[in-house]
This record gives sequence, C-alpha cells and structure tokens, in this order.
Amino acid sequence: MVNEDNSVVAPTAALPGDGSNPGGSILALDDVCKSFGSLNVLNGVNLEVNRGTVTCVIGPSGSGKSTLLRCINLLEPPNRGRILLEGKEITGKVTGDQLDFVRQRVGMVFQQFNLFPHKCAVENVSIAQEKVLERNPGEARDKAKALLERVGLGDKLEEYPDRLSGGQQQRVAIARALAMEPHVMLFDEVTSALDPELVKEVLDVMKELAAEGMTMIIVTHEMGFARDVADTVVFMDAGVVVESGPPSAVLANPQHERTKRFLGQVLENR
Amino acid sequence: MDEVFRQFFDFSIVFEDGNFEKLIDGFLYTLLLSAVSGILALVWGLVLALLRQLPGKVFAPVRFLTVAYIDVFRGVPLLLVVLIIFGSFGALAFEGTIPEAIGIPRWFGLPDPFWYGVFAITLTYGAYMAEVYRAGIEAVPEGQMEAARSLGMSHGQAMQFVIVPQAIRKVIPPLLNDFIALMKDTSLVSVIGLLDVVQVGRDIQSETFNSSALTFGALLFLLVTIPLARLVDHLIARQQRKTSRVGGPTPPITPTGMAGA
Repeated sequence: MVNEDNSVVAPTAALPGDGSNPGGSILALDDVCKSFGSLNVLNGVNLEVNRGTVTCVIGPSGSGKSTLLRCINLLEPPNRGRILLEGKEITGKVTGDQLDFVRQRVGMVFQQFNLFPHKCAVENVSIAQEKVLERNPGEARDKAKALLERVGLGDKLEEYPDRLSGGQQQRVAIARALAMEPHVMLFDEVTSALDPELVKEVLDVMKELAAEGMTMIIVTHEMGFARDVADTVVFMDAGVVVESGPPSAVLANPQHERTKRFLGQVLENR
Repeated sequence: MDEVFRQFFDFSIVFEDGNFEKLIDGFLYTLLLSAVSGILALVWGLVLALLRQLPGKVFAPVRFLTVAYIDVFRGVPLLLVVLIIFGSFGALAFEGTIPEAIGIPRWFGLPDPFWYGVFAITLTYGAYMAEVYRAGIEAVPEGQMEAARSLGMSHGQAMQFVIVPQAIRKVIPPLLNDFIALMKDTSLVSVIGLLDVVQVGRDIQSETFNSSALTFGALLFLLVTIPLARLVDHLIARQQRKTSRVGGPTPPITPTGMAGA
C-alpha cells in the first residue's frame, strides 16, 4: 500500500518554509458542505490557508466551526465541495491512502483533550510514533521527552492523565500531535474546557508554535488571542464564512452586520 | 429429623470406597473444563465483539452474521448445544464425513465428552462475553477513537492500542461474573457422560440413596465461586472509587479515572 505521493512528499520533506512553496497555499477549501441527516452544518465554505500562517476561526456556537476542522482532517468527510491539501485533492471517495496522506500532515488537538487515560504522558506522545511512523521505541521516547519538555512538562513524563490538570493535559495533547511532525495543526476550542487560570499556559504554547512558523487553524473564543496571534481571522455563521481578513480588519473594523453583532455580544460579556 | 440431616450431610459416605478420590477427580475435570472453555470463550467473545465493530459498508455482511450468531447462541439453552454437538460430531465421524480426530476428539488424553463440552461452552459463552466486550468498547468515549485516528492510526491499531485496553479494564468484573456462571454450567456436560463432580455425585447418590456426595460437590463449587464473587465485588468497588475521584479540572466526560490501574 505504498502511495506514490508518500515517497515524493516524505513527512519531513515539506515542513513550513522548506522552499518548495514558501508562503503559498497549503490548504484550500472550495464550496465545502456537510450535513448530518437533515441538519446542514456547512453550507459552502471557501477558505484558503497559506503555509506558516495562523488562521483563527470565530463565530457563534453551532456555526460549523468544529465541523469545519473535522472535515479538514476527514474525521467527517464533506458531502460536497473540494479540499486541497498541499495541492492534492483529499475529498471525493475517501480511500485508506488518502486518510494516511491527510493524517500524516494534519495534527489535531481537541476540546476534551482525549488523552489516552491508560498511558502515561510520555507514552501518550510516543505510541503513535511507534505504531504509525514505525520509529523505534527509544527514538520515539526521546522525541516525546523533548516535546514534553518544550511544552513545560519535563517533570511530568511518567504521570497519568488523571494526575494532570486540564492545562497540563492539553499541553500533552499538543505534544502528542506535534510528535507526528504535522504540516498543519488544527485546534478545536482547546481552552474551552479549561479553568480560566489554566488557559494562559496553553495559549502560550500555541503562541510559541505560531512564532516558529507552524501552520495553524484555531477555532477559538479567545478574541484577545486571535487579535495577537492570527494572521487571518475568519468569522463563520450558519455554516458559511461571512467575513475574513487580518484581525485589524475583522475584529477592529468588521464590515458585516452579523460580525458586528457577534463581536458586540462577545465584548459585552467581558 | 436425623434422617433428613443424614440425607444431605452424611459425609462418611464421601470417604467410603474411594468416593473421595472420585469426587476430587471429578472436580478437577470441572475446574479444567471451566479453565479451558473459559479462556477460549474470552478469546472467541473478543473476536466476535471486534468483528461486530468493523467499520464501513464492506463489512456489513460480517457485522450481520456476527449479530445473528450472537443472537442465536444467547437464545438457545446450553444443554441443547451440548446435546447437538455430542450427537452430531460422533455420527459425522462414524460416517467418515469429518476426520475421527475431530469428530471424536481425545486430545491431550482427555475424553471426548470433555472436548464436546469445551466446544459447546465456548460457542455459547463466547456469545455472552461478546456482548460484555461490546458494552465495554461502547463505553470508551468516541473522542478516544477520534484522537487515535487523527494521529494516523488505522481502525485496527486504534482498537488494539487505545480502545480495547480501556474496554477490558471496564469489563473485567462482568467477565468474571460470566466466568462464575460458566463454571456452574459445566455441570451440564455431565449428561453426555463426562465424569465431572456432578456425575460422580449422582452415581454415588443412586448407589447409596443418599445425597451427601452431591452436597459435598456443591461445597466444592462454593469453595471457588464465593471467593470469585467477592473478588468481583472488590473490583467493582475499586472502579467506582476511581471513577468518583475524577473531578476538578478533569472534564467528567473522559473516564480518566480508569488510568494508571
């Protein structure tokens, strides 16, 4: 089952800024639709993400933000429309090779962390390296240790998830996704399940990643974070992109009525 | 009143004419039959549960057949399965339809009724245990499968390394419960001539018109089943303690209380 594309684009060969397509489009969505039964969640989303940029997706709950992320890594294959990842179409009839192609390149971090509770921190970060990338256990463990140190958890290597705070768990989850050396990272409301005092430690890790040039798509309710870190802010409502652009435009000077109303409500609640 | 007491508790009978040795030998058959068919049913049940969870349209027939199998064997008395296997295997071997080594199995020096019993119990209890495994697999939050898949694991890898290890921890108590029931049900194999503790006890009862050998057999069963039942209670209590410990920053939806066992 060796996919030709795999040999051309080895996991390490196309890291951000490798020169093959500097700053160019890494991900493009064209008229992506997704429905669950009679419920239409995405109604034709168009979006382009450039390599090495941070895209923050904001919008009211139920607007399809999470579903959008889940479509991009094919956890929920779209019903219609096209998604191009590094120039290759990943939509249409989903095959095993296609799934491998996507999941080798796209990492995801979830609202509920979804750490493996029967594995300690370092095992959480090393297991997929061993089983998917076929790294030997020593190598995988070294990489896991390095990543956990990088997210500030060098002293928690052997702890099980139920011994870690929410913020610590989420940082393990980020390290776990990074261990696969993804080209794009998806963050699905990763701070929404956290106590307020734990939010910062997770956002700080994400800021660092952004500074290092990781391509990131972040669904978030943290407007301050979006303003500081995003290259592009995308406002979604009712399953479509209403407005997108740099934070200075979308957040500070929204053009659409719905965007204004949403931002007004969010800021009121501060 | 004395007669009543002696009918059930005259253990002098147990120690006459080598009865004690026969009863113990019979109970060893019971234990061996329980162990062999218990282990096979655990494995077969897991196989069935995994077949039932195979994703996608391609595997729809497999899922359908698995569900049908489980329904049939859960809905038919074990005694009937024992009798069907006992009567049919020997006959098919006699006709030469199946090899004698399978039709009249005497593997490892154990008699053929023993192996017929193993087949019947494994087939039936495999179906019961498949349902227990299924409950365990379904109790693992969906986010676990999604996290595993998003890391590039295949469905099979996610099952093997993420879902099943968590599911099994959850279902150890109900599986042990099924094992206790299985052990008691091995007594049904006595009807096809296995000299298990029940059959030996019955033989003594019909010779002596006294039931004490069977009472003694019951005590041997209790010697094993009561500690097992206590163990189940203990494991359940421990799980509940762990689950209720979850709280604070941990969202209640993830069963993180299961970790680090």
